[in-house]
Amino acid sequence: MHDVWRLVAPRSYLDRQRRAGLLFVLPALVYFALVFLVPLVESVIGSFYRTVPGGESRFVGLRLYEKVLTDSTFWQAVSNTVSLLFMSVPATVALALMVALGLHRLRSIRARSVWTAMYFLPFAVSLVAAALIWQWMYDPLYGFLNHLLNRVGMPPLHWLQSLEMVRPSLAIINVWVRLGFDTIIFLAALQAIPTEYYEAASIDGASRWQALRRLTLPLLNPQIVMVTILELIFNFKVFDTVYATTQGGPAGASQTVIMLLYDTAFKYFRLGDASVMAVFVFVSLLLVTLAQWRLFRRQVEY
Amino acid sequence: MRSRIVCAVAAGVAVLTLALAPPTAWTQPKKLVFWTHWEQNPEFNKFYETRGKDFAQKSGYEVQVVTVPYQGYEAKYLAALVGKSGAPDIFMGMTHHWCGQYDFCDRMPADLAKTWDDSLPKYMVSVGKWKGVRYGTPIEHGNFQQMYINTETFKKAGLDPDKPPKTLDDWLAAMKKLTVLDAKGEPTQVGFALRHKGHPVGIADKFLPFAHAYGARMLSPNLERATGFANSPEMVAALQFYADLVQKHKVASLVFPTPEDAFGQKRAATIFRESWYFGWVKKNAPEVSFKVYALPCAKACPGAGNLFPWTNMVYKNSASKPAAWDFIRFISNAKDDLDQHQAQGILPVWTANLDSAYVKARPDYQSTQEMLKQPVPPEYYHPKSNELATAFGEAVVAALYGKGQPKPLLDEAAAKMDRALKD
Amino acid sequence: MGALVATGAVCVFFPFVWMALTALKTVPEIQRVPLQITPDRWTNLDNFREVFQRQPFARFLLNSALVASASALSSVIVSSLAGYGFAKFRFPGHGLFFFAIVGILMVPFQSVVVPLYLWVNRLSLLDTYLGILAPDLVSVFGVFLMRQSIEVVPTDYVDAARIDGAGEFGIFWRIILPSVKPALATLVIVKFMWTWNELFWPLVVVNSPTMKVVTLGLLSFTNMYFIEYNLVTAAAVVSILPILIVFLVCQKWVVRGVVMSGLKG
Repeated sequence: MHDVWRLVAPRSYLDRQRRAGLLFVLPALVYFALVFLVPLVESVIGSFYRTVPGGESRFVGLRLYEKVLTDSTFWQAVSNTVSLLFMSVPATVALALMVALGLHRLRSIRARSVWTAMYFLPFAVSLVAAALIWQWMYDPLYGFLNHLLNRVGMPPLHWLQSLEMVRPSLAIINVWVRLGFDTIIFLAALQAIPTEYYEAASIDGASRWQALRRLTLPLLNPQIVMVTILELIFNFKVFDTVYATTQGGPAGASQTVIMLLYDTAFKYFRLGDASVMAVFVFVSLLLVTLAQWRLFRRQVEY
Repeated sequence: MRSRIVCAVAAGVAVLTLALAPPTAWTQPKKLVFWTHWEQNPEFNKFYETRGKDFAQKSGYEVQVVTVPYQGYEAKYLAALVGKSGAPDIFMGMTHHWCGQYDFCDRMPADLAKTWDDSLPKYMVSVGKWKGVRYGTPIEHGNFQQMYINTETFKKAGLDPDKPPKTLDDWLAAMKKLTVLDAKGEPTQVGFALRHKGHPVGIADKFLPFAHAYGARMLSPNLERATGFANSPEMVAALQFYADLVQKHKVASLVFPTPEDAFGQKRAATIFRESWYFGWVKKNAPEVSFKVYALPCAKACPGAGNLFPWTNMVYKNSASKPAAWDFIRFISNAKDDLDQHQAQGILPVWTANLDSAYVKARPDYQSTQEMLKQPVPPEYYHPKSNELATAFGEAVVAALYGKGQPKPLLDEAAAKMDRALKD
Repeated sequence: MGALVATGAVCVFFPFVWMALTALKTVPEIQRVPLQITPDRWTNLDNFREVFQRQPFARFLLNSALVASASALSSVIVSSLAGYGFAKFRFPGHGLFFFAIVGILMVPFQSVVVPLYLWVNRLSLLDTYLGILAPDLVSVFGVFLMRQSIEVVPTDYVDAARIDGAGEFGIFWRIILPSVKPALATLVIVKFMWTWNELFWPLVVVNSPTMKVVTLGLLSFTNMYFIEYNLVTAAAVVSILPILIVFLVCQKWVVRGVVMSGLKG
């Protein structure tokens, strides 16, 4: 309490400093509070009410939580989301690492920047555009991918229209969009590793493989953790790609928690249930991020 | 250097502030804002603006039509109607949602309601009403599916395009003759263009004629229960028939992306679609020669049913409510009805127009008359129709994809629907 | 190794090429079986013409440009202020506030849409540029990035300026900002791109056709009955082109920004 008073009526140089700092961050804080925090709180409160806007709204305590968390459709959506995560996140991180390692080894700086730009390009376009471009590639009759399969004598695949293939197909779009971004992060980290380390390692008789495993990867650990968390958050929250293509179909096979949330709020008009799902998403992401941070963050010093 | 940067920033800020300033209330003509999501019918929508100009001479109110993309229109409607300003004065949607589940609609003035009750065909009178009170005006007639056949393919398969199949069994036999497979066993032409993609509500909508033909119904007559109806033996039989089209007889394919495209590209010989479709075919696939017939019957006839009774409603909290109703009154006559629907090539709504020269000249005139004579099939105008139809449609899609057997899928769907109804 | 990387790059780039080629084809060409790779006429701009005729696409581009510029500008100002505050000052709650801001990344936008819309409505900002901008005026990434960048500026400079009697804002304006110009440039560009690509919020808040942004325009070429791929690809090309140009010209900054946020981990 004393501290806050001293901010309002600073008595020392240090107090003035602290007040200045607070003033600098104030615009951002106020903005985020108004635009995100307040609506979020309103949504959370809404999860305890049976809301029918324009109609009545009744406090129902945890009943909506019970209803949503025992609904098989909800858990199907969670399972779809998790399976999508398992397909996208490791693939993105692993591919980004491999590409970054490959780019790092290139001698020519010009080649490196050209290829890097090409990998990064998908990140620059809107998710809607990306989704539509891929939907066109995936078209069962006239799409390019089935044309390729035809050329090598294989039967056409149903991509976005098949129950089994819709999630992998969507995962591919996500990987395509995010690959360049993660590659650049890894590439920069690789370039920051002093070459003396590698020289020392080769003097010690380490092979390239061993150097990679024992030296490079541990040093990249902070970036790997960070990228994995970012990819987890992104893939969990992704909406535009599914919305522009399958809208959760076929037969709910690509219905993620976010798509279900959207339908629950805006198609079925059950805002209370949707708020419960929103809280679920927020808490899940928070827990996963914290767990990742704790478990895998190891400081590596040499 | 620094001062130049300051100047540039200041100039930028000034320009942006000017550009971003909310429009001040200059004297603008008063207008009624009309929201519709019928993006595929631009001529129809423009009619409101054209007539609005005439209306403005009388009342001082013009009409501005805003076309909201169909995908996600619920979100936009909901967000707008909940807040009080920025909402439309008149909007197009389903009465049982916006007036039933929510309370966004204004009651139609009694004299206007009577006009409409008297002018609509019997089966449409309930469209636009909730609990017996009229809130909205129907805008689509012929919103029920009919059978379009590609006459060329019929002739090639040795079938007479002037003698279409009248029963589902005959129809299936014809479908088998119309399906052509290539050397690898993949279909190059199928008998029936099937909707299997997209939101489950649309898929349920396309399946319902088959369900009704088998004498089944999705909900109980008072719309309060699903179990015993959505999973009745008749419904299971209907879904089995439908799924067999793909899985067993292979007269329909899950490969072709949209049924409309398939029919338009002559890859499917028949499609069940509403009356607006022939306008689409004439425009986008003019080489397709087709005929329109009533849907084949089985135990019962599918009749004129639909899941999407689109109506125009007036927003309860609109500041220009009286003007809005005046405008609707202004266009509530047989001539406007005919002109507007003719502009887009769809069927007019007023009974008086159903015998006009325009309608008589349409390829679906006979079939429409025939289907209207059949008993009205079950209607499902319930506030939660979206959710119910989604659960039902999911079962249909799963059956089509062979993800399970009709009976257990329908049992599960009925349970889900009952849960939603009980809420 | 180099060959693999190059092949990968070409594969990643290919969908763009395919999209551009399709935009130059007519519908019969697209449906030709077996698939035809190149268009019959390389100068066939009919699809593009139709895109601009069906929708006021030029207006969409203008709207997107205005909104994205405003968002970038405002983001830069507020984020650098906040980044400075977090980087160089220790005030009560600074850790908590920073964590809260980062936590916003985990909030799904769909769940704050309706309350946010109501706010925007109360302020009569629906269908205005400011309304479209509402959730995009400051970015979490921006605060993050500016904090990282400003942390590196030696505190001695700041202390020296204080001793010389400079005001806090003066220090910010004259010492801090010039030292982080690359980060500022990065933020402007990244935020511009990000706002340009937004879909959901504009979908909810924009009513009139003249206020639509480019992503909405693109979506209007897909509807529930059929997708006209010749037009969709042409519209996609038009909506992507400005961003691609910005990106290619300013690539250095973007990459630097990504790198900076990555290195500290």
